Amino acid sequence: MVATDEELVARSMAGDAESFNQLVLRWERPIYALAYRVIGRDEDARDVAQETFLRAFRALPGFKGQAKFSSWLYRIALNLCRDWIRKKKRTPIVDMPEDVDFIEMAADHGPVESIEDLVARNEMSRVVAEGMKRLPDEQRTAIVLKEYHGLTFQEIADLQGCPLSTVKTRLYQGLSVLRKHLESQGITSFASGRTS
Amino acid sequence: MSLMFTCDDKATLVAYLYDEIDAPDRKRVDEHLRQCAACAAEVRALSDVRSELTQWAAPDAELGFTIIQRAADHPPAGTVLRPPQWRHSVPVWAQAVAAMLVLAVSAAIANVQVKSGPDGFVVSTGWMAPAAVPATAPAAVATADQQWKPALIALEQQLRDEIRATRETGTVRAASRSSDTDDAAVRRVAQLLEASEARQNRELALRVTQLARDMDIQRRADLLRVEQAIGHTGVEMAKQRQTLNYVIRASTTPQQ
Repeated sequence: MVATDEELVARSMAGDAESFNQLVLRWERPIYALAYRVIGRDEDARDVAQETFLRAFRALPGFKGQAKFSSWLYRIALNLCRDWIRKKKRTPIVDMPEDVDFIEMAADHGPVESIEDLVARNEMSRVVAEGMKRLPDEQRTAIVLKEYHGLTFQEIADLQGCPLSTVKTRLYQGLSVLRKHLESQGITSFASGRTS
Repeated sequence: MSLMFTCDDKATLVAYLYDEIDAPDRKRVDEHLRQCAACAAEVRALSDVRSELTQWAAPDAELGFTIIQRAADHPPAGTVLRPPQWRHSVPVWAQAVAAMLVLAVSAAIANVQVKSGPDGFVVSTGWMAPAAVPATAPAAVATADQQWKPALIALEQQLRDEIRATRETGTVRAASRSSDTDDAAVRRVAQLLEASEARQNRELALRVTQLARDMDIQRRADLLRVEQAIGHTGVEMAKQRQTLNYVIRASTTPQQ
C-alpha cells in the first residue's frame, strides 16, 4: 500500500530520511514544472526545485501540518521563484529549444503523431510560452497553478496571499491577454468564438 | 450573487469557466449565455485558450534529487542534495566486467586456479597444497560431513569420560597406558583437523566454481542484451531514414 504524504511526513519528522526521499520522488516533477513555467529557464528551474526540497527538509521540524504538504512545497517554491525574479530583475525568459529534431521526436512518439502534428504542437507550445511570458508575474502564477496544477481558487489565494476575488480577476485578465496574443499570432478562431 | 447574472461579472464567469461554481449560480449563467451572444462567445474563446495552454509542456528533465544526511562530525554538518548514484547510470555489462575484475584480483591474491579439462571443472587454491577437485564436489562434501561429525562427537565424549574418570578415582594411571591414550587422542584430533581443513578447502572451491559459473551466465545474458539493443537501434535508424526520405520527397513534390 502506498504511503500518504502525511504518513511520509510523519516518518521523516521522526528522522527517516528515506521517507522524505519518497516525498521528493513524488513531488520533484510538479515542483520543477511549476518553477519552469513561472521563471521560464530550465537550469534555474532545476535549482529552484532542488532548493525547495532542501529548505523543506531543513524546515520539516517546524511543519505543523496546518496545510497540505504539497501546498507547503508550492509555497516554498513560489517564494524562491519570486526571489529569483526580484533579485535578478529578470522578466521570465522561456528558453524553447531552437533546433528541435522533429524526426527524432516523431520516432519517440511512435506512429500515433505525425511529423506535421509535432511541428504544429511545437509551434503552439512556443506561442503559448511567449504569451505567458508577457503576463505580469501574479497573473502568470495564478494561471500556472490553476491550469497545470489544478489548485482551487482558495488554494491559489492562500499561496498568493490575496482575496479569492483577486485570484479570479487575475485569471480572467491573464486569459484575456493570452486570447489576444493568440489572435495576433494568427490563431483567429478566438475572434469569432469558434473552437479551433 | 445577485438574482441575475450580468455581463460585467467576470469573477462569476471565471468560476463558471473552471467549474468552481454552485448549482444555482451555474444555472443563472447558463440562462444568461443562452440570451447573450457576446458572453457566450467570450466563454467559448476563453475555453479555447485553456485548451491551447495544454500544449505548453515543461521539459522532460532528468531530476533524481536525493536528500542525504552527513554525520555530525563531518563538516559541514547538515544535508545536501546529491545527483543520482553512479551505479544507476552504469550499464549492467560494465558492472559485470567490474565484478569479474574484482573476482580475478581476489583469485590472484588467493592463488586460486580454475581449469577446465577432460575431468570437468577443476579448482585449486594456493592456501593448501594444490589439489584437484572434481565437479562432483557437493556430493563429496556431504559425504565428508557425515563421516567426520560422528567421529568428532565420539572423541569429545571419550575425552569427557576420561577426565571424569580421573576426577572420580583420584588415582594416577600407569604412565605407559596414559601415554598410549594421549597419543591416540592426538592422532584422532590431527585426523579430524585435516578432515575439517580439507572440507573447508572443498567448500571454497565449490563456491568459486559456482561464482564463476554465475558470472559466465551473466556475461552471456549481457552480450545477448547488447546484441538485441544493437539490432533495435538499427531498426530505429532504418525507420528514421524512411521518415526522412518521405519528408524530402514531400517537400520536393510541387504543390497543386
